[in-house]
Amino acid sequence: MSRMAAARAWARRYAALVRNAWLVDLQYRAAIALWLLWGVSEPAIALGIWWTIAGDGQVAGYARADFARYFFAVMLINQLTIAWDSWYLDRWIREGELNFRLARPLDPVHEAVADNIAYKTRTAGMILVVWLAVALVWPAVRLPVEPGRWALTGLAVLCAAAMRFFISFTTGLLAFWTTRATAIMELHAGVSLFLAGRIAPLALLPPAVAGVAGVLWFRYMLAFPVDLLTGAVHGADQLLRGFAGQVVWLACWFGAYRLAWTRGLRRYGAVGG
Amino acid sequence: MTFRIPHSAFRILAALWRLNLAEELQYRANLVASALGTLFWIGTALLTLALFFRHTARLGGWDYWEVVVLLGVFNALSGLIEAVLRPGIGRLAGEVRSGDLDLVLAKPVDAQGFVSFRRLDIWRFTDVVLGLALAGYALARLGRVPSVAQLAAFGLALAAAAVMVYAIWVVLMSLAFWLVSVENLSVLFDALYEAARYPVSAYPGALRFLFVYLIPIAWTTTIPASALTGRLGPGIAPVAAAVAAVAFIVARLLWRTALRRYTGASG
Repeated sequence: MSRMAAARAWARRYAALVRNAWLVDLQYRAAIALWLLWGVSEPAIALGIWWTIAGDGQVAGYARADFARYFFAVMLINQLTIAWDSWYLDRWIREGELNFRLARPLDPVHEAVADNIAYKTRTAGMILVVWLAVALVWPAVRLPVEPGRWALTGLAVLCAAAMRFFISFTTGLLAFWTTRATAIMELHAGVSLFLAGRIAPLALLPPAVAGVAGVLWFRYMLAFPVDLLTGAVHGADQLLRGFAGQVVWLACWFGAYRLAWTRGLRRYGAVGG
Repeated sequence: MTFRIPHSAFRILAALWRLNLAEELQYRANLVASALGTLFWIGTALLTLALFFRHTARLGGWDYWEVVVLLGVFNALSGLIEAVLRPGIGRLAGEVRSGDLDLVLAKPVDAQGFVSFRRLDIWRFTDVVLGLALAGYALARLGRVPSVAQLAAFGLALAAAAVMVYAIWVVLMSLAFWLVSVENLSVLFDALYEAARYPVSAYPGALRFLFVYLIPIAWTTTIPASALTGRLGPGIAPVAAAVAAVAFIVARLLWRTALRRYTGASG
């Protein structure tokens, strides 16, 4: 009974936080549309180049239509999983905006999670509408109707979004120690260009590089859910291995986040006191 | 009178830049950070090209080192953008929104000139040097020694490219006068300019048309690189200069229309 009450209290808190974030975003909807355009320009350009390279043939098993589906899925899933929190954290810490957040009776991480939920619902919704509209006139980007696959993809996207959130949040927390936290995030973005499958499907990378992407967390933050949606993950074995990788790395990054948060706060408090 | 105004404008700019330089020289570590950042991004761009060329021998008819020449040009222009345009005209959208632009308009100088060149992020000029060095290295790998005519054509085409990039910024930032609530208009430029990393011939036909005629980013990288490698004859340079001149005039007219709207609103 008390557990039910606690769950209800959390639901009420999150509803309030998400509603607040949604209304703030509403004021900036034109700016958000521009960020969205910027976000899809990279996969759109990559698609243009691979489209030309593929010609009427195939590149490592990918024909033109396969590239189109792949990069449309990248646009959607990257938007759903991307996290800007390192930039916010860096500002919160450097400019002292963290202080009033710490004074609240709610861990600041919940505000960040709610911001992500509101922002992604809005932006991914926009991409989904555009994708559906494009699919009406361009058969290449149509996906077969497979609700089971979509449900699994949803689960993988949730894991990937949580993991990228903790990566971004943890890196932002490095601002407790260094002024170049966002530069570290930029480096991570540069590496993920290849290893997360943003510029090409992992199948097109040299096998050794693709192997590294699968051992580290990069594959699980984008490429795995994209491959799942576009039908490039075959069999229960591959499926289980993909989800196992996601769970393991999500746990690692959650641990890193807890560690950086407790250590960082101790340091922050010491400086302030 | 008409001659005195540009003269004073140069004096004002020189004074601004002197102050700017004195300020930036306090943060010399930023030079190293900026150069390291540029090298990292050149590295990822080269790896991206290597990935494309793993699966094809030519990209839109260009071979690997030809595209690297283009990448060098792209990087040099990015340096100009980051050093001059983003810290200057890039701040316009925020100033239109907050009303700080009034302070600029109250000054007895040409508003467009002042807004565009008031501040330099001098360390980013290293990108220009590194970009041109990359283009030179790639040219050497191609085994081509450009003739004097080709070098002259490249110089003119590159200058035209700088003017073209500037015109695109002025057009985009002029939109701020209509879309007051959009503070991140410069993101629109970033989204478009990403496409200039590769030769226009590497894109499907419809996009190619778009990049040559409607959003003329082809003139910023593809044309200068083609002039340098000899893919296009030196005759392309005067054409590029003419196109850039037209773009500049269009941008200037749009800026004036936009500014009239702003003064109309506050007055």
